[in-house]
Amino acid sequence: MKDLIKIGIPSKGRLRKDVLNIFKKNKLKLISKRGDRDLFGSVKGKKNIQIIYLHAREIIERLADKSLDMGFSGLDLLKESEINIQKNIKVFKNYPYGKATLVVAIPNDFIDIFSMADLEEVAFEFKDKKKRRLRVATKYPNLTREFFYSKGVTQFSIVKSMGSTEISPFTGSSELITDITSTGSTLAANNLRIINDGYILKSELCMMVGKSSLKNKELQKLAKLLSTKY
Amino acid sequence: MKSKKLSEKILRSVKSKGFKYIDLPSVIEANHIVQRSGENFRKFIFSFNDQNGSELCLRPDLTIASCLRYLENNLKGKEKIFYSGQAYRKSQNKKDSIIRNQIGFEILGSKDEKNDDKEIINTSLKSLQNLKYSSGTLTIGNVEIFKLLISKLEIPARWKLRLLRHFWREDYFNDLLKRLETNADIDPTVVEVDKRIFLDLLKKDPSTVIAGRSIGEILKRFDTKMKDPRTASKGKKVSKIIRSFLKIKCPINNAAKELNKFFKKNKINLVVDQKYFPISANKVSKLNVMFSTSFGEQLEYYSGMVFKIDVKSNSKMVNCCAGGRYDGLISDLGSQKKIPAVGAAFNL
Repeated sequence: MKDLIKIGIPSKGRLRKDVLNIFKKNKLKLISKRGDRDLFGSVKGKKNIQIIYLHAREIIERLADKSLDMGFSGLDLLKESEINIQKNIKVFKNYPYGKATLVVAIPNDFIDIFSMADLEEVAFEFKDKKKRRLRVATKYPNLTREFFYSKGVTQFSIVKSMGSTEISPFTGSSELITDITSTGSTLAANNLRIINDGYILKSELCMMVGKSSLKNKELQKLAKLLSTKY
Repeated sequence: MKSKKLSEKILRSVKSKGFKYIDLPSVIEANHIVQRSGENFRKFIFSFNDQNGSELCLRPDLTIASCLRYLENNLKGKEKIFYSGQAYRKSQNKKDSIIRNQIGFEILGSKDEKNDDKEIINTSLKSLQNLKYSSGTLTIGNVEIFKLLISKLEIPARWKLRLLRHFWREDYFNDLLKRLETNADIDPTVVEVDKRIFLDLLKKDPSTVIAGRSIGEILKRFDTKMKDPRTASKGKKVSKIIRSFLKIKCPINNAAKELNKFFKKNKINLVVDQKYFPISANKVSKLNVMFSTSFGEQLEYYSGMVFKIDVKSNSKMVNCCAGGRYDGLISDLGSQKKIPAVGAAFNL
């Protein structure tokens, strides 16, 4: 169908629940013909809408390459993506859900590090003494690099992490981490604490629209509807 | 065509001063650059992997390629060299070209530093004669004076190192000065919480390693920090001295006088002789010669004398030549010894 509007919704987790709730509140009933595991869906009574359930990171990439028109994902993931991707996406609405912060965390025992300025100093000493750089494990290499540099921390290297980032200082793969947290309890449970001024980005659930789809009148209507009740 | 002719003329001028032409590789190992300039430099380089997994990049500037050549060929003693070609760098400013045409000349491995500084400036001035311009400025600075000043100030050693490390990053350096004026390094409420951990750590074996750092190392730094606090009032005074130092700008023949006046006023035990500067005439051909203390900021690898030449051409001021001393660069790239280096480049 020519005017089909394709919408990406996170396939798992908190974000998925929050998005489904937003649809419900605006009286849009989502249907999955083959049950909960079906990765395609539709909206009752709206033949021109197709729902696709995807990983939250992929939703952003698919918006940029135009295979989705609208998508729901975290602001953190958008800001982490490459500049060419960000250029093609507009944040249409921020929701008060999925609130979380990307932070810099160090082992509790690093009592000599209080601020990013301390970290800057330790990073230089570390390089001088051990002839290698302090390693930061993260799922967010771009945001981390940018933030560290803005705080004067230049002597570090990035270790890309896929998950369970919290344990990497204790498994020998890094000295510190940056990670997304909402309450800080996972960090605390893993013997980590947040550096005093180590707050990189506040994130929340967003409705994003591919810039080339912005002109579509039907999509505009839908986007406005989904921005009213949440 | 016109610029090709011009670059040929400049190359001839440099050659006539006794420099030897060398060829430089277009592709170098990215590791060298990232090790020297840190992760953030990745944003500027064009890098790729070869079949063995080594990361390579297009040379982001010719100086690095030339210093690597000196290092990798195990060269010793004095070399006077020049080179020309393209350097490739991504820019955040969309209008900037990613390709820069450079002509560079350098004196490497020579201990006659003062004379070499002069020779590089003189070679730049001679090459400049090939350019058409109505007037211009030769600005001279020296990072070393800043280093000496910092060493004489009353702040914790940690802060001295910090200020030196970030002198070349203007925005962050200003942030540092602001911080020096205001808050202290230690937050008493946090220290209270950390006391418990501190007492626990004291009981443990200091050689135990936690996340890459030994307990001994952590405790030692914690201890120095506690014993070496800094009061906001002293910080304010120091910051004021640094700020007023960075405002000094005058014709070159007044440089020593102005600096000594400043040192005396602020009770800093330093004296500079006019002979310290590579030039003492205020006018060289069509150029006004100025001394500036803040010049040298934004240029990371310079360690001593720095200079730049801006000329007025078609009623616009353009920077055409810049250079200075970078004694730390070759050792940063991996040399065991410190190798003196001074050079300049024409950007066409």
